[in-house]
Amino acid sequence: MISAVTESAFASRRQGDWSRLEQLAHRFSLKGYRGFTTPDIVLIAPLYRDVCADLAAAQAARYSAPLVEYLQNLAATTHTILYGVRAGEGRATRAEGGGSFAAALTAFPRAVRSHYRAMLLSAALFLFPFAVGSLVAFYNPDFAFRIVPEDTLRPLTEAYLKGFDGGRAAGEGATMAGFYVNNNVGIALRCFALGIFGGLGSAFYLFDNGLSIGAVLGYVASQGAGANILTFIVGHGSFELTAIVLAGGAGLSLGWSVVSPGTKTRAASLQATGKDVAVIAFGAAAMLLLAAAIEAFWSGSSIPSDVKRGVGGVLWALVLSYLVFVGRENKKAVRSWT
Amino acid sequence: MESLDTDVAIEAPEHIVFSYRVAGPGRRAIAYLIDLVLCYGSVCVFSVIVLFALGGAGAFSGAVEGLSGLGIGLILLALFAAQWIYFAAWEGVTGRTPGKSALRLRVVTTTGRPINFTDAVLRNTLRAADALPNAYVVGLACMALTRRFQRLGDLVAGTMVIIEAKTTAAMPLRLWPPATPDELMNVPEHVAFDADERAAIELFLRRRGALGPPREWELASTIAPAFEERFGFRTPNPVRTLALLYDAAVNAGRSEAPPSSRVPDSYRSPGEEPPA
Repeated sequence: MISAVTESAFASRRQGDWSRLEQLAHRFSLKGYRGFTTPDIVLIAPLYRDVCADLAAAQAARYSAPLVEYLQNLAATTHTILYGVRAGEGRATRAEGGGSFAAALTAFPRAVRSHYRAMLLSAALFLFPFAVGSLVAFYNPDFAFRIVPEDTLRPLTEAYLKGFDGGRAAGEGATMAGFYVNNNVGIALRCFALGIFGGLGSAFYLFDNGLSIGAVLGYVASQGAGANILTFIVGHGSFELTAIVLAGGAGLSLGWSVVSPGTKTRAASLQATGKDVAVIAFGAAAMLLLAAAIEAFWSGSSIPSDVKRGVGGVLWALVLSYLVFVGRENKKAVRSWT
Repeated sequence: MESLDTDVAIEAPEHIVFSYRVAGPGRRAIAYLIDLVLCYGSVCVFSVIVLFALGGAGAFSGAVEGLSGLGIGLILLALFAAQWIYFAAWEGVTGRTPGKSALRLRVVTTTGRPINFTDAVLRNTLRAADALPNAYVVGLACMALTRRFQRLGDLVAGTMVIIEAKTTAAMPLRLWPPATPDELMNVPEHVAFDADERAAIELFLRRRGALGPPREWELASTIAPAFEERFGFRTPNPVRTLALLYDAAVNAGRSEAPPSSRVPDSYRSPGEEPPA
């Protein structure tokens, strides 16, 4: 028979290591990995493995429940610390920063392209009501009042009729930037998140936004300020409208992964797709931050219309070609090697 | 140790299985309320400071309108941060929000590892879906239906919220006062309890200090006769009987010194050469 030591002898012999490990875990809970010095990092792995061995020994020797529970908690806490560090996520790479940002810049359009079906569906769900809304409102302006309140539309139209020669009042740009961030980025994130209900939430947001933006556009155009509102929209629209479509598409993908999980379980499929489309949602949010800045400080400014249209056109071309071309693998080169 | 159904067992690469206690809706709701108070409280404080500072500066330079416009813009940004960034940033960096750490909660992946930034942002963006239609009804329903109390955001990010165990070392029970020679003579050599009996006696002995002598005596005398009969051992004090029996069951035949300090049995049988 294996002879074990008494519980008190066991505990008093190992107590020193346990409390050292406890201290390290405590320091981690306060400061994260930054709380560790080099000797700590060298020390924590062997201490953890010793505690695992102690736990196994304590269970085998049938030591008292509180001791086993204590060792188990200590092992679990340290396990969380030790096995958290993933390659490329350490302090050094995060401090460098540049590498991961460049990677994100290519990961975003790649993710968009790999979910192109959802993106096209999302674009259709947005553009169809947009076209219908603008046409109907253009030929029948009263229709717009059913979608957007008259009290909002009339002053808006007057502003567009006046044009932007006066620019914006001092400080108004900053207020509007805050408003656009709070409102538009919020809508895009919600449009993505609510896709989890089989994509219905995203579809609703896309339809709703397409219809109201279209109705406003059609109404303002019917009152004779069509050129002005288009000049206003073209600058930030490249980022803003695209981002709403992308966020909606990410939501549709998320929803579809629950509806049709393929060979995975629904939970596994949701989780895999979630990681996949998260890049798209965050990319869309970043695009909307840019759009908010452009909309607040550029679109409403007194810069000549021709310049605004020219720059707007260039931005559209840049955004679309970024999404279509950046991060493509060079398939020809791959073929020549194989 | 019996597992509760709120425990999630994880096997470590060291082939050690341990369990995390998953946090239920009650604790998480309290943590959430603390976070709400903290983050919207700081937005309020920030707004007041911004408005006063910019208003004061504007009064000197005469550009009141421009500066208050900037102030409103900043406040709107702060509101955005409170709704979409506060939770994600705290959890992405430390794995817990201040409210969660007040209740000793931590967000980990379903495999028991710390979450990364993507997980944190994903699970908190999905709050928009969990909060529907009001007061997190969807999230609560989802938690009720999943084994690890996961809301939709947890399901998508593959995370769960656990209660961090208190790490205080439990002192082993010691027989006090030590057995007298007379007691040592009479205590049976082999005392075998089953796991339930052992756990019950241990729990009783650990709680002795909190019970008060009469209650202690009363409890011990309900259980002691069964053991007195089984092991043929009796003292005038049933509490002392239990303590002595427990000590015999746990420590009899065990040495005080660790195995490594004992002289090892020779692995050489007579006539055999040691390996080179």
